[in-house]
Amino acid sequence: MPDLIIDGRPVTVDKGVSVIEAAERAGVMIPRFCWHKSLGAAGACRLCAVMFVEGPVKGLEMSCMTPAADGMVVETGHPKAVAFRRQIIELLMANHPHDCPVCDEGGHCLLQDETISGGHSLRRFPGRKRTYQDQNLGPFIQHEMNRCIHCYRCARFYQDYCGYRDFGPMQNANRVYFGRFEDGPLDNPFAGNLADLCPTGTLTDKPGRFVARRWDCQRAPSVCLHCSLGCNVTALSRYRRVARIEARDNAAINGAFICDRGRYGFGYQSAQERPRAPLAAGRPATPEEALRAAAGLLAAAAKRHGPDAVAVVGGQRSTMETQAALIALARAAGWRAPAFFAAAREQAQARQALYALTPPRARSLADLAKADAVLVVGVSPLADAPMLTLTLRQAARAGAAIFLADPRPLALPLDHVHLPLAPRQLAAVLAVAAAGEDASGLIQQKFPLAPELWPRLEALAQAMAKAKRPALAYAPALAASLPGDDRVGLFPVLAQAGTAGAALLAPTDAPGLDELAAELAAGRIKAVIAVETDLFAAAPALAARLDALEALVVLDHLPTPTVAAAQVFLPTATLFETGGTLAASDGRLQRAEPVQAPGLSVLADGAGDHPPRDYARPLPGTDPAPAAFWCDRLGRALSLELPRHPLAEALAAHPVLADLDPVTLPAEGQRPTYPGREPATPESPPAQPAAEGLAVVMETPFFGGDELSRYAPLTADKTGPAVALLHPDDAAGLNLADGATVALDCGDAPATAAVRLHPGVARGVVVVPRLPRFDALPPNLGPCGLRRRETP
Amino acid sequence: MSPLPPELSTELHRLVTAVDNPREAAVDVMYALQHHYGYLCDEAMHRAAEVLGMTTLELESLATFYDYLYRRPVGRYVIHVCDSVVCWMFHQDSIFDYLCRTLGVPPGGTTEDGLFTVLPAACVGNCHNAPTMLINGRFYDRLTPEAVDAVIAELRAGTEEPVRCK
Repeated sequence: MPDLIIDGRPVTVDKGVSVIEAAERAGVMIPRFCWHKSLGAAGACRLCAVMFVEGPVKGLEMSCMTPAADGMVVETGHPKAVAFRRQIIELLMANHPHDCPVCDEGGHCLLQDETISGGHSLRRFPGRKRTYQDQNLGPFIQHEMNRCIHCYRCARFYQDYCGYRDFGPMQNANRVYFGRFEDGPLDNPFAGNLADLCPTGTLTDKPGRFVARRWDCQRAPSVCLHCSLGCNVTALSRYRRVARIEARDNAAINGAFICDRGRYGFGYQSAQERPRAPLAAGRPATPEEALRAAAGLLAAAAKRHGPDAVAVVGGQRSTMETQAALIALARAAGWRAPAFFAAAREQAQARQALYALTPPRARSLADLAKADAVLVVGVSPLADAPMLTLTLRQAARAGAAIFLADPRPLALPLDHVHLPLAPRQLAAVLAVAAAGEDASGLIQQKFPLAPELWPRLEALAQAMAKAKRPALAYAPALAASLPGDDRVGLFPVLAQAGTAGAALLAPTDAPGLDELAAELAAGRIKAVIAVETDLFAAAPALAARLDALEALVVLDHLPTPTVAAAQVFLPTATLFETGGTLAASDGRLQRAEPVQAPGLSVLADGAGDHPPRDYARPLPGTDPAPAAFWCDRLGRALSLELPRHPLAEALAAHPVLADLDPVTLPAEGQRPTYPGREPATPESPPAQPAAEGLAVVMETPFFGGDELSRYAPLTADKTGPAVALLHPDDAAGLNLADGATVALDCGDAPATAAVRLHPGVARGVVVVPRLPRFDALPPNLGPCGLRRRETP
Repeated sequence: MSPLPPELSTELHRLVTAVDNPREAAVDVMYALQHHYGYLCDEAMHRAAEVLGMTTLELESLATFYDYLYRRPVGRYVIHVCDSVVCWMFHQDSIFDYLCRTLGVPPGGTTEDGLFTVLPAACVGNCHNAPTMLINGRFYDRLTPEAVDAVIAELRAGTEEPVRCK
């Protein structure tokens, strides 16, 4: 472990750490452009020069290219180093257009900072500046090449870190250009990070362009809601409208980056269609009227038919505060416990998937990047947990063997082995992975019909047996089949951001949505209160019978069909307005802070006529309140005794979470000590064999697939086409050609889709995107479930 | 895209299969396509991307880096004039300027008759014969303005098929 002295401060670092990083640990920020802690050094900008006065290296050297060594004495403020850096800045600025007043990076620009701190203020070079033609890089990233200083951060991130190959450096010497072969949207679903990474205004956030100066924005640490990983973000809000989302460092989860789904899916907060006014009897009402109406309807239904006639449905995109408040309300009122999951079995599986994360086995995303063999089962990384893709890529770059067992075709930017297997076969993959080096007998026994996969399965068994740090990323449906071996690290990937919270908080006897639908059909449910969930997406069978209800009370902030069907509606505030506690899929509890007050954005309110001339009115659009607040008010209107802090009390009474205080969670989150999986983890019911039809597997579109980004204007139109993916052999058996139009049996009205053949689809499976039209598809399509439709 | 002549397709296939990783043959494949198309037009780039399994951007990175891959149309004779330090030492008045003046084109330009393109090159590896230039794979040594005039006149009058770099 090298000991060195930087600016008089002694620091000890691990072998191989560069001097610039060692300095950072000692609290000394050496100026830099090309060095980035996630991308490493390139030695391209020459700005991090420091003076080595003692030790194995002597003289002026780049601190990013020099590994820390014993006995080094480094002076960052040495006159020669300062003079060198000033010259570098002057050189870099020789071609910079100096257009800071119209540049979106202005005010949070590394080039500005380094120019000022380098002491360069007077241009001496009289020559012309280099100019470039910009490209249109699609809807998210704005290109302004004239501002570029050639640090190569963008190219290294894009090609090396992410593994996409349509953006990079071109030309040479003084003419180096970063761009695409031709204009067009960037392929990389993590390209939004370029705006954070670029130390100048060359690559900036296009949707946030000319919206607000960063220093004018209200900023707050938040947590991403667009998948279950719990990536940390900074929310920026201006004029009561979220203007931009930036990645926020969390070394254990997302590192320095986030995906574009999380970055650009925020628009639901300020969407024009967002329901902001309470409704009672389907008409606009004051909050008090709506509360009275809701309480009246629910109390009447409970009185007439018994408290069991009131069903409660909770959402998997809510904060734990909301979920706890809803659970407390249902308990106090004596209603049915809230249903958060499609089936009670799914709830138990999600809980067991988390309980399995005992201290020796739990892995964070950062741990996963250090694994030397990773098996991903039942998870399509780009669709279900985008940042998992980048993590797997970093592991693969470090030499890890990556295996993915999933029925969906995977287009991942990393070396991996795909095992296209139907959902019912995935548990057997876990058995193979745990079988040790000689698994060929087991493989032939478990997969008799797929000899083409035997070599890959044997490679999997060997890689997992030989690995020193093997890890397993899995969907909760496989919780019952997890290997007991403590050597294998575990990382569950759940459905949504609130899934872990719901699984942890929901009473173990809570019904599933399927049970509620059956009870409603049997006439035993007369009222439903749904909180931050779209019944049409989460429970189509239940949604189909809403007419039979005496009361439907809905709390939400998205303009869902459920809201449209509500008799009483109470607008809830978004995470940006309430903050809250969320449990990430790796079992960690994190806190998001509110960034702004609810209220109509000034842009929408003033309609261009700013400032509003009507001075007497109250602030418009401020009716939305936290869902937990509405639950409390509803309880009071029903004269119930409710806990003052439902989440704190729920945690205190929880067998696993009792040690956690939601108010004092550390910045990097806190993972409770999970007790291990309970023996009685329910397995998924055996699915129909392939001969009897096709198993339906949903693939969440990268944009607009989750409920929130479905209602975000930036991402809503980017879901991609409605295609049904089939294995070519299955399609041949059904006499379907690529491009044929088919009708999928989907309850009342069949859903149409275009057939696409893909050899990466598992046999006996049809893969459809998670779009509203497919919400009501059954888990298995019978022999007549998929019919060719003649194109008119 | 019109189909490539079969012998060229065969040659490209041979280049790609002769190496462990198709990427290694990227420059050779682009060279062969440049020879066919005259320069690396977009169609040639797309062809190369298909053959090599690389993206057009990756190939553009290479094509725009190297001096002897041309992404814009060039004349029948491409004159790479050495613009490096040894050649400067041996001739006070720039041969490069002289060529541009004589042919009436700016650096990188092509004469109106489509015969000549003048490009600066940072050393063509012929320092012992400085000042020097390279035209379609042939060196011209120890140049003087008179020698340059003679070469241009010879090439203008010449009818032989120009030698291409291989």
